[in-house]
Amino acid sequence: MNAPDQVNSFADQRHRISDIQQRVIARGDSGDLLAGEFQRRVAGIAGCLLQRPEQRWALVCDDTLWFAAGFLALAQARKTLILPQTGGPESAAEAQAAAVLTDQPARFPSFASVDVTAVPEAGAPVSTDLDDALPVEFYTSGSTGRPKRVDKLLGQLRAEVTALEARWGPALGDALVLGSVPHHHLYGLLFRVLWPLWAGRPLYAPACAQAHEFKAAARRFGRCLIVSSPAFLTRVADFAMLQPPDAFAALFSSGAPLPAATAAKIAGEMGRAAIEVYGSTETGGIAWRTWEPERGQTAWQPFAQLETALLGATPGLLRVRSPWTWKADWMDTDDLAQMLPQRRFLLCGRADSVLKVEDKRVSLAEMERRLVAHGFVSEARLLVLKGKRNSVGAVVVLSTAGRRQLEQAGTRSVRKALMDWLRAWYDPVLVPRKWRFREAMPDNAMGKIEQAELQALFTERR
Amino acid sequence: MNTLIDELKQLIINVLDLEDVTPADIDPHAPLFGDGLGLDSIDALELGVAIQKRYHITLDSTSAETRRHFYSVANLAKFISAQQAS
Repeated sequence: MNAPDQVNSFADQRHRISDIQQRVIARGDSGDLLAGEFQRRVAGIAGCLLQRPEQRWALVCDDTLWFAAGFLALAQARKTLILPQTGGPESAAEAQAAAVLTDQPARFPSFASVDVTAVPEAGAPVSTDLDDALPVEFYTSGSTGRPKRVDKLLGQLRAEVTALEARWGPALGDALVLGSVPHHHLYGLLFRVLWPLWAGRPLYAPACAQAHEFKAAARRFGRCLIVSSPAFLTRVADFAMLQPPDAFAALFSSGAPLPAATAAKIAGEMGRAAIEVYGSTETGGIAWRTWEPERGQTAWQPFAQLETALLGATPGLLRVRSPWTWKADWMDTDDLAQMLPQRRFLLCGRADSVLKVEDKRVSLAEMERRLVAHGFVSEARLLVLKGKRNSVGAVVVLSTAGRRQLEQAGTRSVRKALMDWLRAWYDPVLVPRKWRFREAMPDNAMGKIEQAELQALFTERR
Repeated sequence: MNTLIDELKQLIINVLDLEDVTPADIDPHAPLFGDGLGLDSIDALELGVAIQKRYHITLDSTSAETRRHFYSVANLAKFISAQQAS
């Protein structure tokens, strides 16, 4: 199967779906949203965008349904779609957005913006034909210490959704799509928003914060599927509440590998093994694996449409090519892999300095640079603290202004100021939870800062 | 209710391993997440598990209801005592 065929067959399916105005787009605590109303909403926003001169639009919506409507409207209006790293104005500015399409206009006073919730619906839905060459920009952590822009085309997203539907669609039926991951990163965008929208499966808009919300949704709405991540799944005490196995059509996990013990626990208690998907913002989905009673976690199985290769000796840098990689050409991952028979492979760790903390990608060098840019900070070193939960710890040498603030208002005030500062760019999970303020960085006789000495600052409570 | 509120504050500090926070620092009516105490999505999960274990209750509510129950220490206390009474 080649890429154009996939996209065409998908377009046919899309046209068929767009005719069904009564299809349920989303189910929620306050009722169902039908396709007709959703499409009038999208058409209204697209019409409004077409009147605007700005080309580069950041899409920032807290509500998943407004996000979905905004996404399709920007695509219909042929605007460049920007998905900033976080929901604040700083990330939108860094992405050089000319304007912001949002359900939170008060957050963007210094931007030209359109409030999606205030745009009147159009009288009738317009054509849903979308341009596959439309640019979509993602932002993520890179190893250079600067946020990394990842360019994609709308057609790449469509090709990936087509592959997901081909692989799992028939088994999923019309299960309601529940999720615990954010919709503005690639995994959530594909699995929680575009896949359900384009395959005609209803979605549940609120992100579930706790596992019992999955149970409550399944009881209320019937058969569901779950889009989650290791950070969430490793903290679920009891999967037996997600019984019987029929109540959930699938449980997807992505963002990082699921620990073997959690994979076994899910299969044992829920009666259904999780499907893990491996990929990255740059490459999109690469492979999947599951858990089998006799073998435990299986090796990674690449998607049928994707080719893999290794750069260098085994374990080597994994390279991939698929209809959803840039220009359907080869792309290097940042991961080391070892090849097995039948196209399968094992992952052997990352090849760069980017870390993952609770499934979230972070460059400590980038965060250090941002901390030092604050007036209170003269030097900063960050490290990952391992424990029941992994978190970032900060060792900081304060500037004169920072020391003055510490003397006048106390440690908590300084810490809060720095945490609020970092929240502008980072998921709250990545913002340092433990802070050590020092007169000078601990260094050895050679003037080198030792990781062990930094770690030691956190092992005892003050 | 006040005993429960104090207990919950201590539980939050212990379970979430919050440094430099005392029960007196936590306003029972301030939001736990975001701007208030600044807890994150992983804290929400760990707090949910700890509360079920400690108070022998089963959480079983929709996303909107859960958001309301977990909004503040005062809301949590109200929710837990209602669950225990039923």
